[in-house]
Amino acid sequence: MPNSWSPFSYIVTNLARFIRPNEITFSGVNSSMPMLACLMAKRAYDWDYIYINVAGGVDPEPSSIPLSSSDPVLAENTASIFDNEDFYDLCTRGRMDLTFLGAAQIDGEGSANNSVIGNWHSPKVRLPGGGGGAVMLPTAKRACTWRTEHSKRTLVDKLDFRTSWGGFHGVVTPIAVFIKRDGRLALESWNPESSLEEVKERTGFTFDASQAKPTEYPTTAEIEALRSLDPHGHFERDAAVSIRIAAHAAP
Amino acid sequence: MASGFKGKGKNVSLEELVAKVPNGASLALGGSFLHRGPFAFVRELIRQKKTQLEIIKQSPGYDIDILCRAGIVKKVRAGIVAMEGNFGLAPSYRKAIESKAVELEEHACATLTAGLRAAAYGVPFQPCGGLQGSDIPNINGWKRIDDPYGQGEPVWVIPAISPDIAVIHANEVDQQGNVRVYGTSHWDRIMSRSSKTVLVTAEKLVEDHIFTDQPEVTLIPYFMVEAFSIVPQGAWPGSCWPYYEIDYPAVEEYMSSLSQDVLDAHLKAASEKLELINA
Repeated sequence: MPNSWSPFSYIVTNLARFIRPNEITFSGVNSSMPMLACLMAKRAYDWDYIYINVAGGVDPEPSSIPLSSSDPVLAENTASIFDNEDFYDLCTRGRMDLTFLGAAQIDGEGSANNSVIGNWHSPKVRLPGGGGGAVMLPTAKRACTWRTEHSKRTLVDKLDFRTSWGGFHGVVTPIAVFIKRDGRLALESWNPESSLEEVKERTGFTFDASQAKPTEYPTTAEIEALRSLDPHGHFERDAAVSIRIAAHAAP
Repeated sequence: MASGFKGKGKNVSLEELVAKVPNGASLALGGSFLHRGPFAFVRELIRQKKTQLEIIKQSPGYDIDILCRAGIVKKVRAGIVAMEGNFGLAPSYRKAIESKAVELEEHACATLTAGLRAAAYGVPFQPCGGLQGSDIPNINGWKRIDDPYGQGEPVWVIPAISPDIAVIHANEVDQQGNVRVYGTSHWDRIMSRSSKTVLVTAEKLVEDHIFTDQPEVTLIPYFMVEAFSIVPQGAWPGSCWPYYEIDYPAVEEYMSSLSQDVLDAHLKAASEKLELINA
């Protein structure tokens, strides 16, 4: 296998690497990459975990991989339906080991803005809104997020609005993996196609990089698992992630 | 007025069902994003030129977008709004909020559920976990209270939200109006319990014994349902598991431009489906 990452495989695989054996792990709406990461972890690793999702699935075996990460096929071959109220309650009572949550802006403490660009009352851009984060980020044992654009407008010193507080355990972009250390995001590793200097230059908050190193390349099992989920590259094409210029200008 | 809905005559046309919605009503819409939403009902709201509606839903998308596009929404209370898949933000909703044509009460999904739970439980407010450090409570003027028993941390309390009408798209109903859905119930259950009344569209009318054979599968008992209408494909262009998937080309067409022509064509494409049903 070639020692290389595509920006897409970098994000999905590094999200999958946050998943740990036997833990309860959740993927939600608007979350194609975490959905792929969760399905990938089931195939790539020689241990198992408890996968629940917003379609109500509990360790589902979907017959196809949906575009919508809340698609009902994600509850195919499930033995129970664990519905929306259930997984939120699970989280607030402290039993959600890992949840994936979207974020438009992320600051150095790992808080998130999903609400607005600009002033809340006179927004420049109205974003999707509170969603899971405000309740799940502070109550899940760990929460991880991803951004397809690594820039000073997505990784910011100061959020336009703090939708969710609590500190992401992990953040993945096309060029970097951050994890929480002593209450702040620290650089864990950088994409070998990029560099520590580039990550610093393109990040709006300051971070500790003392333990950072180039990200380990994907294993054969990881590569094969992701390929089996996206054999024709449709997800990769649709995601249109690039290392340096985000395909979509909108945040 | 009795507390439940008994009697015959609940099975009405979609037009008659939607005619029960007064202007200015608050509607909790079932489903989530493009999945099992009462979308034929929503389009009929537009055809009947309702005005000043309040829309309540944890994760609206197509429904709030098309209602904003038609200009018949006054206020929305929502957790997360998007078209999902590859479609991204909901453009007409976004425009309506940015231009201040529509008032937004921004929630986390779970705070909206907490408000609905308060109404369902018959109490004025409901504690909700999380929310520490979030700017959302302040925007909404929510209060945080100490645990009166002195055992736990302070907790945010969300005021009761009691929609005038819950609108649910179901898989099956029987003649009396018992309701079943397949797959996840999304937030339909708490919506039905918190609302003053429930209106239902359903893919199929089934014989009574289907429900009595397996009563534990029933999501909403008939006495909570004021009226229903049989509307196959009623969640189009969204999915209704296990009958049909999202009609992606139709959503793409809807999203292709914000012009009136595209909206009209979309409503017409849907109404042809409705005519087929009535035939």
